[in-house]
Order: sequence, then structure tokens, then C-alpha cells
Amino acid sequence: MHDKEQWPRRVVITGLGTVTSIGLGVAAFLDGLRSGRGGVKPITGFDTTGFAHANGCEVDDFDPARWIHHVDPDGLGRATQFAVAAAGMAVADAGLSQDELRARRSLVSVGTTDAETRDLDALAGVQLAEGPEHLDPNVARRAQAGRLSTGIVRELGLTDVEALTIPTACAAGNYAIGNGFDAIRDGDVEVALCGGADAVCRKNFVGFYRLGTVAPEVCQPFDKNRKGILTGEGAGILLMESLDSALARGARIYAEVLGYGLNCDAHHPVAPDQDSLARCMEVAHRNAGVKPEDIDFISAHGTGTRANDVTETGAIRQVFATPPPTVSIKSMIGHSMGAASALASAACALALTEGFIPPTVNHGETDPECGLDCVPNEARPADLDVVQNNALAFAGNNAVLILGRHREAAR
Amino acid sequence: MNELVLSAWSAVTPYGVGGEPFRAGVTSGREAVAVLDREAHPGPFTRGAVIPDFSAAKYVGKKGTRTMDRETAIAVTAFGRLIAECGDGLTERPGEVGLVLGTGSGSVQSIMDFTRDSLTGERPYHVDPARFPSTVMNRATGQSAIRHGIKGPNTTVAGGSLTGLLALSYALRLHKGGHCARVLCGAAEEYSTQRAWLEWHGRGEAERDVPLGEGGAVFLVEPAADAHAAGRGPLARILATRFRAYHAPDDARQALAACVRGALETAGVTADAVRLVAPLGLGGALAGQEERGIAEALGDVRPRMLRVSALLGDTSAAATGLQVAAVLAAAGSRGLGPGEAALVTGVERDGTVGCALLGGV
Repeated sequence: MHDKEQWPRRVVITGLGTVTSIGLGVAAFLDGLRSGRGGVKPITGFDTTGFAHANGCEVDDFDPARWIHHVDPDGLGRATQFAVAAAGMAVADAGLSQDELRARRSLVSVGTTDAETRDLDALAGVQLAEGPEHLDPNVARRAQAGRLSTGIVRELGLTDVEALTIPTACAAGNYAIGNGFDAIRDGDVEVALCGGADAVCRKNFVGFYRLGTVAPEVCQPFDKNRKGILTGEGAGILLMESLDSALARGARIYAEVLGYGLNCDAHHPVAPDQDSLARCMEVAHRNAGVKPEDIDFISAHGTGTRANDVTETGAIRQVFATPPPTVSIKSMIGHSMGAASALASAACALALTEGFIPPTVNHGETDPECGLDCVPNEARPADLDVVQNNALAFAGNNAVLILGRHREAAR
Repeated sequence: MNELVLSAWSAVTPYGVGGEPFRAGVTSGREAVAVLDREAHPGPFTRGAVIPDFSAAKYVGKKGTRTMDRETAIAVTAFGRLIAECGDGLTERPGEVGLVLGTGSGSVQSIMDFTRDSLTGERPYHVDPARFPSTVMNRATGQSAIRHGIKGPNTTVAGGSLTGLLALSYALRLHKGGHCARVLCGAAEEYSTQRAWLEWHGRGEAERDVPLGEGGAVFLVEPAADAHAAGRGPLARILATRFRAYHAPDDARQALAACVRGALETAGVTADAVRLVAPLGLGGALAGQEERGIAEALGDVRPRMLRVSALLGDTSAAATGLQVAAVLAAAGSRGLGPGEAALVTGVERDGTVGCALLGGV
């Protein structure tokens, strides 16, 4: 059946599902990216009494019952609900019926930082107040990382499927997408639903707050006056298939996945390493068959901390003689942790299709230590061919993804 | 031929630290579950299987281990043993070595202790910042790379009781995709009071008498030619991994049978070649579904059964990894024989099944 197919297969993105603080669904997300909308508000997901400031980027208009139809939403933690909703959106966006999807062998791979730690927080509270004998069995059951991917399998009724969660912290989305790329490329599966999900939780906020990295008001990557990250939440799930499969069914193609690179600093538990990140970009370029000068813009990890922004731009300068525009959508949607690089990948795919570079908002004055063109405050029309999406994580886990525009004429 | 093999392994288990105590324990069928020291292990279980006299300070060293969680200590120790057994050549080019580790939800004890400190401190941010990294689920994987200088892809995988099989499958794909020359791959789980309470509440009443265990199993995955070149005889060829899902508890049998048949077909192996089977054997009624699914796929074949959970209890995320180690332990130092195959299976409560098929060398 694969007689006419090229091997290894080319892999394309044909469906996007996005749950973000600037909109549910791909149309709202695209509109937010184009208009530079910000999702920052005071956090409501946990009691913020006692913190000097507690702004974040929460998804505040999410009604699980609207997006989840086949499993009881109450049996899913908030991060799994986001993942399941985003997967459903991606399948619908790809124009695949449930029957068509179920007939294909698939991979479900979901990245995360904290999985259902929001539930673990709640259980820790109950345990303090009432004792460990009184934990809610339903919450204890659903508070497992593996459920982020099996929740999607249950909702979509998949049977011929491999489902894994990739808790590789804040780079996990790119890891999961790379995993799906490899699986389709080598013919292991026909469809991959990959991305990332996380829900705002006390544990995570407290940790970053204690490290002094939470910004009091807004997230300002690459800005001289940046004050840190804003924790966020959401999910991004990409539906990927082979190019031949997409062409055969006449699917709309957002972008081609050209390749990705992974490496580990193996150096420090939390601080990034410039040389190692530069190597990861080089590996990604080599795997994708592109040169630095081919990259039309970089979607940076761009958390808005000094440690990240200076290290990341330093690494970019090491690899790029003339760095391309380098933006951070975290300025709009905050740091959605395991969902971050998945949502940034979705943003890159939309940018390629729609011909624009998303802006870095809240930008006043560029930090001379960074000195990059961060496309301040307003989206920029651009004819794009190849884009790069960076992701870094605690433990020195780097992941760089390269996407390319699919041009019909080139076929 | 560039076929991937398992060419070395190690384990940290209630039998002790290292592969040899595990081999001796599993092959003799000695039960490691015992009455728990209730002072060290309060919580709902009176019996369990813990690694004797194990601590990060003792096995990883005193330096920088004050805040090291138990799961991380287990993983770092297991990978350390494996690397030591293989010699320095293994990590000579650290950027070409991948490290893949399966976990449940990281260290739930560390996560929930951190939240508790926030809830009970004078201020909600009066927490120990040095303990924050242990609340992130890639901690054990990252520390294993940091402690052993492994700079290739570093990936954490979670999938309930199928975690070990999913980590192996991920490792195969990572290698096939050209991301590394070899992969150190495994799965780990810690015994903690917090995990015990979560398991207790999360399980059905009927399953509450199954004791909890802990441990870690790690493997070296590399091309057969590289194993030979390094003087390591391959222990087993990795013929196939396969996964499926079921949507009603009674369908787990059928799903697993289809899964095993698929693996056999992919590998071009007939059922009568299967000499060893290591099932998960957990999940109440699901264990029966698993046994029947295996029987259905293998027909009249009567392989030797290795029932690791009967010896070590429920080791959750480490379970299927320890089952792979049990197959290698049973196969001995020369590995599975020519023409022999071994099957490792698992059934996860949340509706997924999986298997790995290993072949003789």
C-alpha cells in the first residue's frame, strides 16, 4: 500500500487544537496572536493570600462539558481536560471523522510539567485538614501523569493506539511532537496527536515565586525592565500525518515538520547552559536539513527571566551570524509549562500558513544584552518558509523543533 | 544488520542493589514482600517490599543529596551500576548517548510535601527552594544525566503500569530516528507514605490487599554490532513493542491478545517460540483478563511464567521495567537462546495494554 510513498515519509501538521488564556480553539488563538492579546489576570486557581503579587495567565472560560463528550469530565484532572479538549479540536480541525481516525493506527503523546499536580495540591490540603484517610478516591485515581494521554484515547475511542505522557517539564511539548514526527516518518503509525498540557497549580507557582522569578504584573521577554515569568496553563495538540496521507484526503496543510533536536546540558538542575543550547539548535538544523540563514524567525523559549533571555539570545548569536526576528508568545499567554512549546509550535504553524510573525508584547525597551529584533508589540506580516521553535527545561533538557511552509507549487 | 538489542541491565530492588541480587531473588522465586517497619512507613499498608537500607546518602553519596528524593536516588544508582558494568567506553561520547526513564508522576511525596509546606508555613512561600526541582517530574531523569554526564536526548516517560514498556518503545523510536547511538533506558518507582495513600484510595476495595513495592530497572539499548564491538554479548533482540486500548474492562483480554498477535506478526515469530512470559499480574480482575489474553494469543504453548508482582508487590511505574529485567535475569548471562522468544505484558487500569517481544541471539 506504500508503493508510491517516499521513505522516510514526510510529516505534516493538518490539525490544531489550542486551549489558551487568550482564547479557546484555533480561530481565537490566531486572532489573539495577530492582535497581540494578553491573557494576564489575578490567579483564581488557588488561594493567593499572603503573596505580594499573584498574576497569571489562566484559562477562565473553559467549560469541560462543551468539549468533552464521551468520558465524564469529573474523572479527569484539569490538565487532562485541557489535553482532551485540545485533541478533540485538533481532530475536528483536521477534518477527520471519528471513524476515519479510529481506523488508523495512532500515537498519542502529551508533554507536561506538572500533570495533575493541581489535584495533588488539593489532596495535600485535605490531608492537612482531615487526615490521609479522607482523600477522594476519584481525585487520587485521576491525579496521574499517564492519564493526560489515556484520557484522549478514551474520549476519542481509539483502539489501535500507543499512548504516552512525556513529563519532560517545560520543553515537553516539543519532545512529544518530535516523538510523533519520528513515529509517522518511520511508518509506525498513520496519525499522531501530540503536544502538551498543564494546569495552574499552587506547587508550581510557589516554587517559581520562591526562586524570585515570578513577575508582579506582566511578562516582558527580552525587555530591559523584565521582571520574570507569569505562570500560565492550557493545552496545545497537533494532529500530524504523512504528507501523502494529507494529500490523498485533500487536507489543509499548516506546515511540514522538518525535524527536531534534543540534548541535555547534564550540568545544572535549573540554570540553562548557553553552549549546550547552541549545540541543540545545530542538531535540529542538521536533522531538518536547514542552515541558520534559512530560519525566518525564532519562537524563543523566552520566559522573561534574565537567566533565560540572556542565555538563550547568547546561544542564538553563537549559531546565527545574523539572528532572525526572535519572539516570545509567553508575553501573551504566560508560561504554560508543558503546554508552552506545543502552543508555540501551533503558533509557528499558524504563522507559516497565515504569513505573519507573532509579536512580543508588553515591550518597552530591548535589553542591550539581548539586542534581538523581538517584533515588539505588533504582529508583522512576513512571507515565511522555515521557522524554529526553542524549548528549555529544568535539568537542562533542550528541544528545538523546525517547521517549514508547505508550498503546493513545489509538489 | 543494525538490529537493536538489550546488551546489559541492572536493577535496584527490594532484593538489594544491583542485578545479581535481583537475578537470585527472581529465579528462585523468593518473595520480597515483608511486614513493614511502621515507624519508617506509616500509612495504610502493613506489608510491602522496600529496598533494604537504601538511601541517597549511602548509594549516591553525601554531596548534594540532602534534597534528593528516593525515586531519583533509585534511578541514579541503577544507571550508575549499569554504566560501571559497561565501562567508560559507554559514555565516551556523551552527546551520543540518550537517557530515557519511566516514572509514575515523579516523586509524589516531594510534590505534596512542598505544597504542605506552602500551606503550613508562616508565609505561603516559606518553602525550601532547593526542594523545588524534586517536585518536577523529570527530576530523576535529569539527575541521572547530570550525575553520570550523559548529554544526549534526556526524556521522561509516564504511562501508569505500562510505563516501562512505553519507555522502551520511546527509546527504540529515538534511536531509529537517528537521535543517538545508544540509549540507557529504564523505569523507577519509590515507596513513600504519600504514594501508599494515593494508591490505597485510587484502587478498588478488592485490590487493597496487594502490597506496594518499589525499585528500578535499567537497560542498555544499542545496535547488535556495537554490542559485539564493545565485547558485550547481546542478551536479547528487541523484536517488537505494541500497544492497544480497550473501552470496557471485559475487553482487556481481547485487546491484549490482539496486541501480542500483532507483535508476533511484526517480528515474524510463531507463538511456539515463546518460552518465557512476564505478565504484570495486577489490577484485580484485570490480571485474569491479562492471563486469558496471553493464553488466547499463544494457543497451546505453555511458556515459563515469571510473576514479578507476586514477589515484589505492585511497583507501579517500575513494574513492566522490572518484568523486562526478570526475563533477562531468567535468560542468564548468555541471554535468550537462538530461536527463543520472551514476552512481557501489561494491562493499565485506564484502558491501555502493551507488550514487548524479545528474541534470542
